[in-house]
Amino acid sequence: MKVTMHHRLGVLALASCLTLTGCMSSGSSSSGDDGDGPITIGISLPLTGDFSEPGKGVQRGYEAWADYVNENGGLLGRDVELKILDDQSNADRVASDYEKLINQDGVDLVFGPFSTRLVVPAAQVAKDYGFLFVEPAGAAEEVFTQGFDNLFYAAPAVADDHYNYLADAIEALPEADRPKTAAYAAMDDPFAMGTAYGLKTRLEEMGVETVVDEVYPPNTTDFGSIAAKIADSKADVVVGGTQYQDAVNMIVALRQLNYQPKMAAFSTAPTNPEFPEAIGKETEGILSPTGYTPEADYPTNAEFVEYYTEKNGTPPAEDEANAWTTGQVVAAAVEAVGCADPDPECQQQLIDWLRENEVDTVVGPLSWDAEGRPEGAHLIQQYVDGKIRIVLPEDAAEADLILEKPHW
Amino acid sequence: MRNASDPTSDSTSDPTSDSTSDPTSDPTVRTDAGSRGRAVLLAKGIGLLVLAAAVLSFPSLAPDAFILSVGVVIMSYAVLATSWNFVGGFTGYISLGHAAYSGLGAYATALLVIHTSLNPWVAMLLGGLLVAALAVPIGIASLRVRGASFVIVSIAMVLILLLVFQSWGEVTGGSNGLRVPRPFDESVLRPEQHERFFYLHVALLAVALLTWWAIDRSRFGTGLKAIREDEDKAQSLGVPTFNYKLVAFIVSAFFTALGGGMYALWFGFLDPIFQFSILVGSYMVLMSLLGGIRSLFGPLLGAVIVGYAVEFFKNQYGDTQFHLVAMGLLLGIVVLFMPDGIIPALSSLINRFSPQAASIREVSAGELAEQRRAAASEGKDLDATEAEPTDSLPEGAKR
Amino acid sequence: MSLFFQSVVLGVLLGGLYALLAAGLTLYFGVMRVVMIAHSAFLILSAYLAWWFTTETGLDPLLSLVVTVPLFFVAGVLMQRLLISRLRPATLTMMSVLLTFSVALVIEGMLGFVFSGTQRRIRLPYSGDSLELFGANIAVVKLIAFGLAAVSLGALFLILKKTQFGQALRATIQHPDAARLIGINTDRIAGYGFGLGLATAAIGGTALALDSTIYPSLHWHWIGPLMAIIVVGGLGSIPGAAIAAMLLGLGQSLLQIPLGTTWAQTIFYLALFATLMVRPQGFFGGRLAQRF
Repeated sequence: MKVTMHHRLGVLALASCLTLTGCMSSGSSSSGDDGDGPITIGISLPLTGDFSEPGKGVQRGYEAWADYVNENGGLLGRDVELKILDDQSNADRVASDYEKLINQDGVDLVFGPFSTRLVVPAAQVAKDYGFLFVEPAGAAEEVFTQGFDNLFYAAPAVADDHYNYLADAIEALPEADRPKTAAYAAMDDPFAMGTAYGLKTRLEEMGVETVVDEVYPPNTTDFGSIAAKIADSKADVVVGGTQYQDAVNMIVALRQLNYQPKMAAFSTAPTNPEFPEAIGKETEGILSPTGYTPEADYPTNAEFVEYYTEKNGTPPAEDEANAWTTGQVVAAAVEAVGCADPDPECQQQLIDWLRENEVDTVVGPLSWDAEGRPEGAHLIQQYVDGKIRIVLPEDAAEADLILEKPHW
Repeated sequence: MRNASDPTSDSTSDPTSDSTSDPTSDPTVRTDAGSRGRAVLLAKGIGLLVLAAAVLSFPSLAPDAFILSVGVVIMSYAVLATSWNFVGGFTGYISLGHAAYSGLGAYATALLVIHTSLNPWVAMLLGGLLVAALAVPIGIASLRVRGASFVIVSIAMVLILLLVFQSWGEVTGGSNGLRVPRPFDESVLRPEQHERFFYLHVALLAVALLTWWAIDRSRFGTGLKAIREDEDKAQSLGVPTFNYKLVAFIVSAFFTALGGGMYALWFGFLDPIFQFSILVGSYMVLMSLLGGIRSLFGPLLGAVIVGYAVEFFKNQYGDTQFHLVAMGLLLGIVVLFMPDGIIPALSSLINRFSPQAASIREVSAGELAEQRRAAASEGKDLDATEAEPTDSLPEGAKR
Repeated sequence: MSLFFQSVVLGVLLGGLYALLAAGLTLYFGVMRVVMIAHSAFLILSAYLAWWFTTETGLDPLLSLVVTVPLFFVAGVLMQRLLISRLRPATLTMMSVLLTFSVALVIEGMLGFVFSGTQRRIRLPYSGDSLELFGANIAVVKLIAFGLAAVSLGALFLILKKTQFGQALRATIQHPDAARLIGINTDRIAGYGFGLGLATAAIGGTALALDSTIYPSLHWHWIGPLMAIIVVGGLGSIPGAAIAAMLLGLGQSLLQIPLGTTWAQTIFYLALFATLMVRPQGFFGGRLAQRF
């Protein structure tokens, strides 16, 4: 009687499949509470998996922002409540998370996730439901070329423009003092490659010859061969389109080969507080672009740093600041338009307002072009006397740019 | 009983073995056990109807678009697992790398849609055919030798495709990912998209199930199952094992690619890391194995259970890496304690308590002899096309 | 020219590590016909233990070997006796793949659970030091890793060739039934063989941790090349695995010069497919490999 068994089981399975419908929807749908209840904000972040480290930074930033807002009278007089889901650093999950937040949890607003890889699928969901989508990470160019009219990047500059101040400074040098050759090694990641190739484009325009151009997969742990190529080229400048540990690995591998560039720039990693711990005193002279510094004197920044430091014990880093900025940007739009609900009309008003206006944030005043690109540039930091300092642009500089990098 | 269910022994005795392993295809059964056959047919028909009704009514019962999207994901899993089962279930060859074919199908569909003005559904079909063609050399390389190499190649395929699709940025979009244009225009809102794709996935699943069922009842299927039980014996008995395995492999790759292509059209964004992921491939294995690789509806049941469990675990134990551990433990438990899956395990359990089935498990010796005689006289081609009912070999008994 | 020579040096150093790890992987296959997917997960586990040992005690990670090698040996014996031997012989190869795969998932999940997904690296005072040899720089850490691998491989070779246990093990690999007939307790031998294989993962993991970042999902990055190596070398053949590891490690390193890191990795898979097409039993394997 196998066949009947099969079908009995099939029915059983389907019955459970239907119960599933019931089960999963339980405890949901709170969308009807416009007006006086708290404003719920849905966020999906990579709290586990490959992007978990920066993901947690963004989470700290969001939570600090929500607490700060609630302690200071809320948004439109209503409390702010965050609903954060873990997308496990997985693109399928991030889309389903926003689907859930919007449809089932009935959130009033959404904030963006972390990393370009996850921003695009998430932004698609938000767009389909007409939601404003301000995101703290996802600086790579193709985020902005997908036709998302609801997307805004809450940081000063897109990846390609991160090194603009450094490129300007090099261009300002007398021709003879400029570097002649440059080596590039970038992680195969939209953001990391964007930073390195942004600088590459500028340097090539100035006539700096590209002698090495390497892209390595994100899972690379052995940098021996890449370092060998760079060392062999004896390039004057080495530029690393790096995220976190890959920069540490690459620097160690370069040192093992006794390669001494005149200038070394790496994205992201050097701004990480653990970086000097990992590299030791050989950090001197290493350059890095950053979208944020706790020392910046933008209007709200001092408050942010103070509040955050009091709450978490350490001053905020870039990920935290970008999250906070996201909060500030959305809050500015909400206060100006006077609504915060999932209704497409309200969301469209928020989108339209941000399109037209400039927002003061902890990373400076932000405004966006039609695709959501912020129209600013990143600061350039450098390790000077063992501390990371802002060296460019000159009016924000805390220390002088070291042009001839000491040996590492 | 054991004799009847062992396809290899039949293939020696007479070429019409399929009818033995599939006693129903014999008209005499109907006359002999007519009333019972009709009752079973009725029960089966009702079961199938209820199943279909339950699946098809899901979208209207789903309270919101999120549940609906979970339904689409589960149906997609079901398509992939059922497709996987063409190889895993019939030949016993475990492929951990079927994500390679779903990923290829997804990219093939996406690239065809983007670069040619093909209709998306035609592109999907074409993508499936392309992948099936590609599966020929891969199958030849990996099936020439026995299991171990097959597994190694299956994993290697995923890893190499990940590398290629990540590095070959000009064509595949590389690590930037690839947006896939929608098959429906802007006026079709997202919840409605989910609904349409749910039905589309169900349709694809139905085709895959039908194919599986047809193969299962065919001579070809019998040969494949012989390979699963004992490849050496099958070979020595004249089953063209290599060709059979290869065809099953190609069919499997084809359906897997269609599943991948449809998912791509629904999800709208492809990233090599998530397309060519060993985890996705292992989900297919887990689902099929859990449900029962010898059963038609095993992979579907497995997909529903695993798909639901994934959502449930995420809801309950959100922010930990624990989902990997849970999946690992589940897989380990299934492999160690119920390698035949839930359906056979439950069937035998229900059988034991069900009064009508009583102690006579399926066909009596007399019926069997009758069938044999008829089968021998009837000749080759009475297989699947004939009657439906009383397919009475419990999958578990074929061991 | 110096780049070429440098790459050769790096390739040999890398090949040594591959050789040790592939030897372990092929050993399991030899004694049990088991494709041990969890091998590289244990590799990463041992690397994590070395990292954890160093951060907790401040001692050199090499000292962690004193604990991890016996620990892994016992774990290997237990794994064979308690898990693998429960599987039905008829479906052993396939089911063992799934079983070891699930073990790999559990290890990866637990590592993420306990140590989080953050990438880790051991800080060593000598991590940037190097020796110069005919114009090529050889990093001290890489040399230590190579030395570890070479010594362990040598020891493995001696165990297999010179000891009675080794003879019993080789007999079990070549013909389990015959081995049983002449009074070898093949079950026990297989357990020890498994333990021995896992011990290579312990050593390899420590060597890896010296000069590399580690994170829980890193093992996927290793299992592919290692499996390709054992097929090319001939399933079950330890010398074959070692030779194939050296050749492919060297090939990968040299191919990185013209092709870059990503494409150079494909050499493993191309070699795998070529081997299966041309010579399925592997280039150095015996009759054994032909059947699987």
